[in-house]
Amino acid sequence: MGQDTLIRNVLIPTAQILAVVLILPLLIAYLQLVERKVLGFMQARLAPRRVGWHGLLQPIADAVKLLIKEDVIPEKSDRFLFTLAPIATVIPALAALAVIPFAGAPFTVFGYEVKPFITDVNVALLYLLAISSLGIYGIILGGWASNSKYSLLGALRSSAQMISYEVPLGFAIIGVMMLAGSASMVDIVEAQRKAGVWYVVPQLVGFFCYFIAAIAETNRVPFDLPEAEAELVAGFHTEYSGMKFAFFFLAEYTNMIVVSCIATILFFGGWLRPLPNVESLWWLQNGWLILLPLTLGGFAGWLFGQRTGRGLPPMIAGGGIGAAAGAILAMSDLGGLASLSLPAVSGAFWFFFKVSLFLFMYIWFRGTYPRYRYDQLMALGWKWLIPLSVANVIVTGLAIVVKGAVQGRG
Amino acid sequence: MFRTEEMDINMGPQHPSTHGVLRLVLNLDGEEIVDVRPVIGYLHRGVEKLSEHRTYAMIEPLTDRLDYVAAISENLGYCGAVEKLMGLQVPPRAQSIRVILAELQRIASHLLWLGTHALDLGAMTVFFYTFRERELILDLFEQFCGARLTYNAMRIGGLLEDVPPGWTDRVRHFLSIFPSRQKEYEDLLTVNRIWLGRTQGVGVLSREDAVALGTSGPTLRGSGVDYDVRKSQPYSSYDQFDFDVPLGTKGDTYDRYLVRMEEMRQSCRIIQQALDRLPEGEVRAKVPKYIKPPAGEVYHVVESPRGEQGFYIVSKGSEMPYRMRFRSPSFVNLQALPMMCKGRLIADVVAIIGSIDIVLGDVDR
Amino acid sequence: MGATTRTVEAPRTTGAREILKTFLLLELWVGLWVTLKNQFRPHITVEYPKERVELSPRFRGIPRLRFHPESGEELCIACHLCETVCPDDCIHIVSEKKPDGKGKRLVSFEINLERCCFCGLCVDPCPTKPLTAIYMSHDYEMADFKRDAFVAPLKVLLNGVDPKDYKE
Ligand code: SF4
Ligand code: SF4
Repeated sequence: MGQDTLIRNVLIPTAQILAVVLILPLLIAYLQLVERKVLGFMQARLAPRRVGWHGLLQPIADAVKLLIKEDVIPEKSDRFLFTLAPIATVIPALAALAVIPFAGAPFTVFGYEVKPFITDVNVALLYLLAISSLGIYGIILGGWASNSKYSLLGALRSSAQMISYEVPLGFAIIGVMMLAGSASMVDIVEAQRKAGVWYVVPQLVGFFCYFIAAIAETNRVPFDLPEAEAELVAGFHTEYSGMKFAFFFLAEYTNMIVVSCIATILFFGGWLRPLPNVESLWWLQNGWLILLPLTLGGFAGWLFGQRTGRGLPPMIAGGGIGAAAGAILAMSDLGGLASLSLPAVSGAFWFFFKVSLFLFMYIWFRGTYPRYRYDQLMALGWKWLIPLSVANVIVTGLAIVVKGAVQGRG
Repeated sequence: MFRTEEMDINMGPQHPSTHGVLRLVLNLDGEEIVDVRPVIGYLHRGVEKLSEHRTYAMIEPLTDRLDYVAAISENLGYCGAVEKLMGLQVPPRAQSIRVILAELQRIASHLLWLGTHALDLGAMTVFFYTFRERELILDLFEQFCGARLTYNAMRIGGLLEDVPPGWTDRVRHFLSIFPSRQKEYEDLLTVNRIWLGRTQGVGVLSREDAVALGTSGPTLRGSGVDYDVRKSQPYSSYDQFDFDVPLGTKGDTYDRYLVRMEEMRQSCRIIQQALDRLPEGEVRAKVPKYIKPPAGEVYHVVESPRGEQGFYIVSKGSEMPYRMRFRSPSFVNLQALPMMCKGRLIADVVAIIGSIDIVLGDVDR
Repeated sequence: MGATTRTVEAPRTTGAREILKTFLLLELWVGLWVTLKNQFRPHITVEYPKERVELSPRFRGIPRLRFHPESGEELCIACHLCETVCPDDCIHIVSEKKPDGKGKRLVSFEINLERCCFCGLCVDPCPTKPLTAIYMSHDYEMADFKRDAFVAPLKVLLNGVDPKDYKE
């Protein structure tokens, strides 16, 4: 084996995996901060502000706290399973990230071409469904091994919930697979580029089903029954503390990110810019140069606005300043950024932009809705979502057949 | 085959949603409730016994601590009972101010109930909104009497002081912003399908049961029984105000929710009227320096936010009551809990506890 | 007043418009709008040790004693009325005859803040003019590590304690 193949086949994938696995916890820690901020602002309060500027170091402090906290294992628990459960939850969650393409175009590092995804398998969607089912084991084990009634009830609830909602989730995805004719993530996005339209348009019902099922799958409000704190204290992780708790936490947020990524890829064109085939919108390709500072400026203005008690104006001002700075940067071509048309960067920007919108939706729902009851959740899943998603598959199939027939004749 | 077992689960006294230190022993079949046994007494402070060793003036701070989220109503009831015993006539201005305070307190208490009830059902944001508005009322109380929770705001025979300057305008200001805020809670809850699903048909208390169990307040009115102490035995000049008594039809959690929401609107109406025709004059009747009611007994009821709050005093003509007894609405309403919970799911218990709005200080005394 | 009851009812769910509303998840969007709108409202929480809320003039904090505003003498005439009226027996006064024989003066005056319920009843009967000798101050920070610290002696009652400053 030559040195070249070694690098290509071993070193680069390892580096990619490490990058994903190392960056992800940091990302999640900050996602948590954003969640607390957004919830706080929705709730007329300030959210963490003590550690660092506007609490920007809070996630680090939290992580350190979790690391050095005492790791309590209840006396009557099954020690082995109790320890195994968080690991069994977090590994499938992380493994799911292997097939998520973060951008389309490859980029070059030291002359080697690096793809912005760990791998692209042609059964990516099936792999994701399979992997996400595995995560349930950890939850059941955790609830069972804790030997606590609250944990047990929480674990039973979540296993029932996750198994039920996997069905509509799967059916919702089938619609997209039929349109794209592939189960590979990259192919699906390319198919959307060819079609010139995001699949959310032809697959609106599918997207709706997917989105609801995904919220339920990740145990978020309004389907956060497994950890309904008002009823079951903290559900399956009641007895967990320290690092083990952190693992469950990591798994939950990783799942959240993964389902958002899948939604982005399947229904919102992944790394494609809006309207990928309209030539006159070519500047959106470099939109990140303006949009990224705009978002950052808006966010800073938003934080500032909360401080002074005026919400909207500083946010608009911040966004405006950011956009202006971005525009100047783009036009004056400082540092050659604009002419350096980097498809990978642009793609990654659009991808993460869309994912962030999804994550915001999750937080927004959490701030708005009450929680379903267990039987209602089941009823919603079995009586509404499954029929709806099956109908979606049938209608999609019929549409494809009819369209094929028409084209075949014409 | 399978062997199924019923499971006992301890909900409380340390549990996020039993509102204080209520302990419920749930007998479960899966998630279904077979039986509920409330265990109370964790907050028992012996207020009734304590009162026998205190002069009448000293008891009022104790009443603050019965139903600590609606202390004004307790103050009002207690002072009213002693005044009845002594045959004191409270000056009209004091009566009207008492009404304003009591109705503000009703709104504050219902806001606290709404927030925690919604929090129990998972809608966490409503909690912060209601607390934001409750804070405005607490500010008003602080300006009036100096405290934010245990007010000790009244004195036997009237009030200690008149309202501070500008206070009525601030109350009006509150009344002007409150309806739009209440609309927001309603937008978040009243029509929300999840909220409807969680509350409609849950914890049904029939008219007959509600009466038979002696429930009162919104718990009773949610079941459609028209009984409000403010109407049936008016005190503190309530008969001069124009307001409606909201009644439910089905007696479920949702009806109790609607009744309380409407009560807040009616309270605003009462406050508005009281402000518009606030009489001038003294705020405290002539009271002897040492309060020594004549020998005798008295029972006085007021409509606290939770229901019929009664004060029974036996006097032997000394400075201290011979015997004191509080009829606390939460204690009585709590009796309805097992009946409402049977056959429902765990999640419903939380909704039902929320909907009868108990305060453990009031239950245990 | 006439018969005044009002029946509260759930919102209608029948009728074409209502069904359409349900189908479009209208109320869920309205809910989202409410929370979004509130994001731009000013916050109401206060970062406590750094900022403090403004107290109203009648605020009832820790009971304290005060000097005469002009002459600077102690106002209390040791009449023991506040001690008598306090429901929690937390005031403890020791007094002696003044050397000139007229009236009494304080030897010690203690308030046990562990027992005090901040009811303000001790202020009502205080007979001194123009101000009551005992008053409810605006101090409210009383956390401490030792129980002795809660028995406030005369010196503390008169002079108060400096508010603790918050250092980052
Ligand atoms: S405030 Fe009340 S409890 Fe405290 S010293 Fe005065 S009378 Fe006693
Ligand atoms: S009532 Fe006033 S004057 Fe009398 S002892 Fe108390 S503080 Fe002093």
